Amino acid sequence: MPMEWLMGLLGGLMIGSAAALYLLVNGRVMGASGIVGQMLDGTAGKTWAERLVFLAALIAIPAVFYLAFGAETHLSGHWALLAVAGFLTGIGTRMANGCTSGHGVCGISRLSPRGIVASVLYVGVGMLTVALFRHGLGWL
Amino acid sequence: MLRLVFAALAGGFFGGGLMLSGMTDTARVQGFLDIFGAWNPTLAFVMGGAMLPMALAWVVADRRKVSVLGTPFPPMRRGVDRPLVLGSILFGVGWGLSGLCPGPAMAVVSFAGPGGLVFLLAMGAGMVLAPQATRLTNRLASQRLQMDIRRLTDSYAVSPQIAVEDLQAIKAAGFTTVIDNRPDGEIPPDLHTPVMKAAAEALGLTFVVNPVIGGALTMENVSLQRQAMESATGPVFAYCASGNRCSVVWALAQAGTMPVDDLVRIPARYGYQLDHLRPQLHALAGDKV
Repeated sequence: MPMEWLMGLLGGLMIGSAAALYLLVNGRVMGASGIVGQMLDGTAGKTWAERLVFLAALIAIPAVFYLAFGAETHLSGHWALLAVAGFLTGIGTRMANGCTSGHGVCGISRLSPRGIVASVLYVGVGMLTVALFRHGLGWL
Repeated sequence: MLRLVFAALAGGFFGGGLMLSGMTDTARVQGFLDIFGAWNPTLAFVMGGAMLPMALAWVVADRRKVSVLGTPFPPMRRGVDRPLVLGSILFGVGWGLSGLCPGPAMAVVSFAGPGGLVFLLAMGAGMVLAPQATRLTNRLASQRLQMDIRRLTDSYAVSPQIAVEDLQAIKAAGFTTVIDNRPDGEIPPDLHTPVMKAAAEALGLTFVVNPVIGGALTMENVSLQRQAMESATGPVFAYCASGNRCSVVWALAQAGTMPVDDLVRIPARYGYQLDHLRPQLHALAGDKV
């Protein structure tokens, strides 16, 4: 168990370094929902290539990692549930202008009130959702 | 080119970190959210680990004006508004149901099977619809408050004179900057600029004073309005007696960025007649008529 925590800490340091690099060199906030969302809603403008390359690496490196070491996602087999969850995640993160990376990692570390409020809300609501659907309804 | 190299490095590090930390395993993420079951604190370690380098990066960013590649650092957006709250709640439900947030959803797509693709496509659809949802939320908010907010564009609205009590509603409707286009001489003292400015700033709104004298608009008025709009971190709300002067300065400040027909047609929807400005708008836009 503590090994899992240590890997979490190391992986977290990597994620934070990625965000620090993207901020200090490229001058942008590393927010996953914003990077992909602004490509989809047409507000990316001249930053399209930068976003595309970021996403390509974000998909490719885990693919290599998976081939080398394997990985488990334990993703739900209910497609309808995944579709609803995906839709809510997409619309919610873009309305709020950020997700776990933008509001969480980048926002909280800057002591941004918006980042802190958003993070408290999505973690709190996430906990309520798991409580309701796993322990209440037994769906998860 | 360098920009792309570093974008790839950041994306790759992000993906590698997500895999190493186990945040691509939905069981572990839902385990963190499951405070009434077998709680798994790994995500807290990931967040803690990620914040260390990032907190340092913000300290460095605060001391410099631009990034290594010359991009100005993003300003911190202020103001907790309705879309932020509602959006974070919706996202919390989606995250709890699936154990996936946007970053990991993309990181696992190559090996998560069809379910991962279903999530990603639905997420994309939600992202495309989000601007409409935000507009709807803002519109409902302003309707309920019975205020007369006239949205010329997504980022600029005008209104007749407001009262101090309206500022809370303006903030709740998502605006971050308020522009006062009315000289104090024509309004009662309890609505004077210093009173409004103090109340707006206490709410975290940016308040810009740009009095336009009826019939004697200056180019300084126009450029000040433009600057206020450009430096705003969110939608801008401008008020005068009827909203007419706010529409006129807006049209003049936007000349060249959209067709003159639109600059006249949009305010006309709310009864502001700007037809007489056409020659001036064409001249400012540099059009050959």
